[in-house]
Amino acid sequence: MSRALTSLEVLPVDGRPTEPDGFREFVEARSSALLRSGWLLTGDWPSAEDLVQTALAAAWPRWTSLTRQDAPELYVRKIMVNTFLRWRRRRWTGEIATARLPEMQAYGDAFAQVDARQALITALDRLPPRQRAVVVLRYFADQTEAQTAAAMGCSVGAVKAHASKALARLRDAPGLAELMTGGVAS
Amino acid sequence: MNTEERQLAEMLHRVTPEPPRRVTVEDVAYRLASEPQREPRSRRGSIWKHRGWTPLLAALSVFAIAGVSAGIATVATSRHGTQTPNDGTPPATAPASGSPSPPAPAQSPPPSWETLRVAGGMWDAKLINRLSFSQGSLTGGGNSLYAVGDGSLVRIDPASGAVLRTTPYSAPVIGRPVVAGNTVWVVWSYGGGGIVLRGYDASTLAQVASVPVSATGGVSSQAQGVLAAGPDGKLYVAAGDTVATVDPASRQVTRRIQLTAGQASSVAVSPDGSKLYVAAGSFQLLVYDLATGTQTLSSSMPASGGSLLATAGGVWGTTGTGMSEWVWFAPGGNLTRSFRVSQGAGSGLASLPSYGGGVVWIGGSHELVCASPATGRAMARTPIPADHSVVEYFDSVTVLSSGHTYALYQDDRARLAGVASLTPPRACSG
Repeated sequence: MSRALTSLEVLPVDGRPTEPDGFREFVEARSSALLRSGWLLTGDWPSAEDLVQTALAAAWPRWTSLTRQDAPELYVRKIMVNTFLRWRRRRWTGEIATARLPEMQAYGDAFAQVDARQALITALDRLPPRQRAVVVLRYFADQTEAQTAAAMGCSVGAVKAHASKALARLRDAPGLAELMTGGVAS
Repeated sequence: MNTEERQLAEMLHRVTPEPPRRVTVEDVAYRLASEPQREPRSRRGSIWKHRGWTPLLAALSVFAIAGVSAGIATVATSRHGTQTPNDGTPPATAPASGSPSPPAPAQSPPPSWETLRVAGGMWDAKLINRLSFSQGSLTGGGNSLYAVGDGSLVRIDPASGAVLRTTPYSAPVIGRPVVAGNTVWVVWSYGGGGIVLRGYDASTLAQVASVPVSATGGVSSQAQGVLAAGPDGKLYVAAGDTVATVDPASRQVTRRIQLTAGQASSVAVSPDGSKLYVAAGSFQLLVYDLATGTQTLSSSMPASGGSLLATAGGVWGTTGTGMSEWVWFAPGGNLTRSFRVSQGAGSGLASLPSYGGGVVWIGGSHELVCASPATGRAMARTPIPADHSVVEYFDSVTVLSSGHTYALYQDDRARLAGVASLTPPRACSG
């Protein structure tokens, strides 16, 4: 198991971290997909960015070893999911950084798109965090059941159970059935 | 995957939007570089040990008296409580509304605060003092900062962060002071059939003017940002179903524009003085030609709107409430062409747009944005970090004539607040 680097190791002479080989290419290629996963998990872009940056910052010091194992994206997604689950475990009663913007009947935005996104996020909000994470990893990030189980630190059986329960809930979510059977393009 | 699972996967890919911006390596590098250097929590909260009972009780008494005289509701909506300077100076007591003899402004000897880096050094944010003010209340004039908090209007030295002058004042409606020439104008009372504006000397904060303005038809219950200054120094105030123009020299109402769409809740004047923007009802945006007094445009939005800010390209405002508040820009004052500027402005008053240094600033708890006053497009934005998942706020960004940029900062978790100096990126140079 790799150890976390100290700030002195990450921050060399000029205070700027040394960029590992291949990291920039990965970020440029995958940041959009990771952000979209983050949006599905959190429901808003600032939190999604926070999630992705957190995961990438965690991956940075381990990048060489992750690329040797050919698994940097798996690791980044694992950190994203665990960070998301940790955020959701917190019992804090004040304002939270995941404000849901009221998607006004946006001028210049297609009404149907806005409705579809709201219906989707509302439905995902109703899922327990682990079921939501399974939906995102399995059906959006196209991870196998085994990869999803590894990312979430649970068994394949648990992933199947979460997926089944999530599907049952989503089936009853208002407006989602129409979206799943053909709805509005983004 | 079965059919239902495939449909779900297909729908997720179809409906999930593209992100408005990508995460870059620089974002990650910045985060990695800044996080280890964040101040230890114990230190961030250490200011509270300086708090004594005397200033706290004194502040509470100010709260009570000001609440009676100016309406407690407004004070209660403020998320901040002014921390009385720990200099032994008792806070001034607010007089009854309409008191003919203004009290002498108080002057505080400058306390010495250690500059404290905050928010992970975002835009090189540093606290220049540890005083807490009402969100959205910071403004600048010349080389001074002005802010409002618990029963006081204060003048702040941007170099030291010290409060140079204070005078009793409790804001009856949301809105920042308006600096016009050598006078700082505030709405002293706002309700029923009457409005009173007060002017204070920008240097001494001694009261120099008190202007009563009648409000026909009663004032709006959604009033927010009711006072604005034109480029000629004239003041415009939302006064019931009219907008009154006040000449600061004669201290008289010199003109009234009658509205056709209910009571005015917010006003703004274009930088060239040609247009008056008025928010009315819930919610119409009216545009008037100030030369003729005629209405030239009216558009509406199916939401509340307020805190207008006019720039060369159009008008800015807020809609929504609390954490859901966000900022829009309407080119030419036309809401049908409006678009959202800030992604999740968050935090109500913290997201009120402000103008300074040639650009528009939008704070909040999610991100700090500088935007073009001509097009409304964001020129730079940076996420505002959270303190262990508890949001931090930057609001009412103000640029002084010296070119230095300041904002109010608040970290509820660390119980830390103050005026922060900022060094925005070059893209924010108007």
